[in-house]
Amino acid sequence: MHMADALISPAVGGAMWAATGGLAAYSIKKVQSDMDEKKVPLMGVMGAFVFAAQMVNFTIPGTGSSGHIGGGLLLAILLGPYAGFLTMSAILTIQALFFADGGLLALGCNIFNLGFFTCFVAYPFLYKGIIRQGYTQKRILLASMIAVVLGLQMGAFGVVLETLFSGITQLPFSTFVLLMQPIHLAIGIVEGLVVTAIVSFVWKERPEIIERAALGKTIGDISIKKVLTGFVIMAMITGGVLSWFASANPDGLEWSMFKTAGVEELEASDGIHQTLADIQSGTAFLPDYGFKAPESETASEEAAGGGEEAWPTVSVGTSVSGFVGGFLTLALAALTGLIITRVKSKKGRVAA
Amino acid sequence: MSGMINSLYNLRLLDDLAKKGTSIHRVHPLIKLLTTVVYLTVVVSFGRYQISGLMPFLFYPVLIFALGEVPVLPILKRIIIVEPLIIGIGILNPIFDHQTFMFGGFTVSMGWVTFLSIMIKCALTVTVALLLVATTGMDGLAAAMRMLKIPKAFVLQLVLTYRYIAVLLEEAARTLRAYSLRAPGQRGIHRSAWGTLAGQLLLRTFDRAERVYQGMCLKGFTGEYYTGKSNRIRIIDLFFLAGWISFFVIARIYNIPMLLGSLLTGVLN
Amino acid sequence: MSHHKLEAKELHFTYPDGNKAVNGISFMVSHGEAVGIIGANGAGKSTLLMLLMGVIFPQKGEVIVGDVHVTKKTLSMIRQRLGMVFQDPDDQLFMTTVYDDVAFGPRNYKLEEKEVEERVLKALELVGILHLKDRSPYKLSGGEKRAAAIASVLSMQPDVLIMDEPTAALDPKSRRRVIQLLKSFKHTKIITSHDLDMILEICERILVIKEGEIVADGETREILSNAELLDSCGLEMPFSLQDCPLCGSQKQSLKKLNS
Repeated sequence: MHMADALISPAVGGAMWAATGGLAAYSIKKVQSDMDEKKVPLMGVMGAFVFAAQMVNFTIPGTGSSGHIGGGLLLAILLGPYAGFLTMSAILTIQALFFADGGLLALGCNIFNLGFFTCFVAYPFLYKGIIRQGYTQKRILLASMIAVVLGLQMGAFGVVLETLFSGITQLPFSTFVLLMQPIHLAIGIVEGLVVTAIVSFVWKERPEIIERAALGKTIGDISIKKVLTGFVIMAMITGGVLSWFASANPDGLEWSMFKTAGVEELEASDGIHQTLADIQSGTAFLPDYGFKAPESETASEEAAGGGEEAWPTVSVGTSVSGFVGGFLTLALAALTGLIITRVKSKKGRVAA
Repeated sequence: MSGMINSLYNLRLLDDLAKKGTSIHRVHPLIKLLTTVVYLTVVVSFGRYQISGLMPFLFYPVLIFALGEVPVLPILKRIIIVEPLIIGIGILNPIFDHQTFMFGGFTVSMGWVTFLSIMIKCALTVTVALLLVATTGMDGLAAAMRMLKIPKAFVLQLVLTYRYIAVLLEEAARTLRAYSLRAPGQRGIHRSAWGTLAGQLLLRTFDRAERVYQGMCLKGFTGEYYTGKSNRIRIIDLFFLAGWISFFVIARIYNIPMLLGSLLTGVLN
Repeated sequence: MSHHKLEAKELHFTYPDGNKAVNGISFMVSHGEAVGIIGANGAGKSTLLMLLMGVIFPQKGEVIVGDVHVTKKTLSMIRQRLGMVFQDPDDQLFMTTVYDDVAFGPRNYKLEEKEVEERVLKALELVGILHLKDRSPYKLSGGEKRAAAIASVLSMQPDVLIMDEPTAALDPKSRRRVIQLLKSFKHTKIITSHDLDMILEICERILVIKEGEIVADGETREILSNAELLDSCGLEMPFSLQDCPLCGSQKQSLKKLNS
């Protein structure tokens, strides 16, 4: 469920970057204040472990399907929430850079969906809440299962919101949610079982590893509240600033770069804009964001083809020029590449 | 298993590519990183009904491919691996988008335009991100991150993760091989072995982390990460950055293909 | 040069699970000596090395390097003088390039970058892998990795080299190269290994360890040709000292020793 760059708008990407950046900075401060310099190599090598272990498939008896381990919660259990979050960030960064799993702009979203919900919500509130009375086989199962499943559900919901706020897909909110949540419920249950098996094993063989992670790192209510408040403020400021750019200068070419074209048209189908507008007014998330398009634009939309500003390719005349020009540019780009490669290889031969 | 081998191959390939010495490789890592980020932001900022406007953005990856001597096929393969996810989200657009337009006598849903637009954006963004790595490498990126004042502890941790992915992948592959040799015909790990198999690997990882830590301590590590000086940013690097950013901005503001196209069709008419 | 001597005095170390890994070991290594430490698996060799390096501290007894006792306070200084090469180079090469790995130690001692570079290049040249300096450690062959690990220790310019199984998992040619390299070093050397042929070539003195205690301390040839002693310690005479497996004739070197 890695988000790709192509699925987000700069405003959403920027807001999530700011949020995760803040979380990561806070986590680094926390980890460093532990004065445990062992942590850094442990986090590094554990990141590599999760990376490799995600490629190990576990078969689900009787179904023929398989699943793999979830990274976030397992890392939080083994390293504590702050180090777990940082490790997850490193894994996702490497996946984005070297494997094109999720993009660079979408990295903030991905770290948030897969790292924040597991390490800072599911782990302290669900997992630790259940396990507080002490480790037993049953409690490990219950805690891991609930924390993994709900953590993943939150992450999946994050994907839905981020995609919709970016205005890339035209799926109505309800359809999207109905698509995403059940799939991730199934995935979550398998992950929950695998995480349970691993945690039980480690708890039996080397209980001190799990105890060490749980101790020391006092993730008291105060600090987690601070984290949450900090995040909300950060996201609001960034989102607000970016959407101010987007909406304050709707015609200015300078800001059109930041304009998340498409968001205005989000209401094209069904009652989704109503839902979103409700959510927006309810939470004041991304204030000033123009979900409700100006009357004039809506009208021009209905005229289908009139709104040159919004969709230049719509009218027949412009779409033909668009096609011709587009192909011309494509051919030109390819030609440039070919010529350079030719010249280079010739030079190489001459030099050789 | 094949996933692990692919990942290893992919890491090695990008690492090899990054060791070349072309003019693109010599551009300062930070400059390449910034250019890439601007590129991605601009491409992603295009509306979902825009296609022709995206075309000029092909020039950047094409020039990097050519000047950086990066083979095209392996990178295209990565795009093909990633695209299905995008298709999954975009494919329903034609169904949900009720607007249509006429093209060559056919009525086409605008959804197809948005779908195509997403696909193109995906191909461009994935390509450019991979090109960044293929011409910069992990050590270059780490240097760029340090210049951006990203905390050293995080950079060190990232570098360590990158370093040990190869080691851990091989270790996991060995374990899996040993398992599959004694459990023929199974597609994955059976439930009865989940905890012990992954758990053993995990405990070995903890032990390795301990040894790595000792190795670092014996070399005088006390929690602080010292790095050498990064390369200076040269004038030519600044030109690279300024040149590309102005191109991106101009191409974002003016629909160049559209202008070209109207010019051409106008002349024809 | 008394400050180059290394002394272990009555070392005792028991793991938390009650395993008495090192049980009263004492010895002294003087400047320029090459000493092999041999013993069966679990005899306590690795624990002994860790005690020498100050990775763990003995419950009783002490380690003295030169005139300095190994304590938490003196560790930083001690570790500049003792360089240890691990058994698995992957544990010791943790950066993205060979250069950064070799530079890691000197940089931690806050040397000028110019000085760091000089040391790195010198160390790489010494082990013969200067051309690999920009490569990623994970792409090196086993022999190259070993060389890089040795270079990463040499760049700290230690007086004493401590090696854990330096020839483990190497092909014959790479093994030969490592042996030649080690022979060429003027450092004081302490080497643990099951590769007794290698020990025979490099070390003039051997400590035999069994169940956490020293059972023999003496001249290499003498100890390695004492089949009875070796057998009782779970070891075996090195091939180069054994009779020829084809014709049964005695080795020249052994004849000389026996006569």
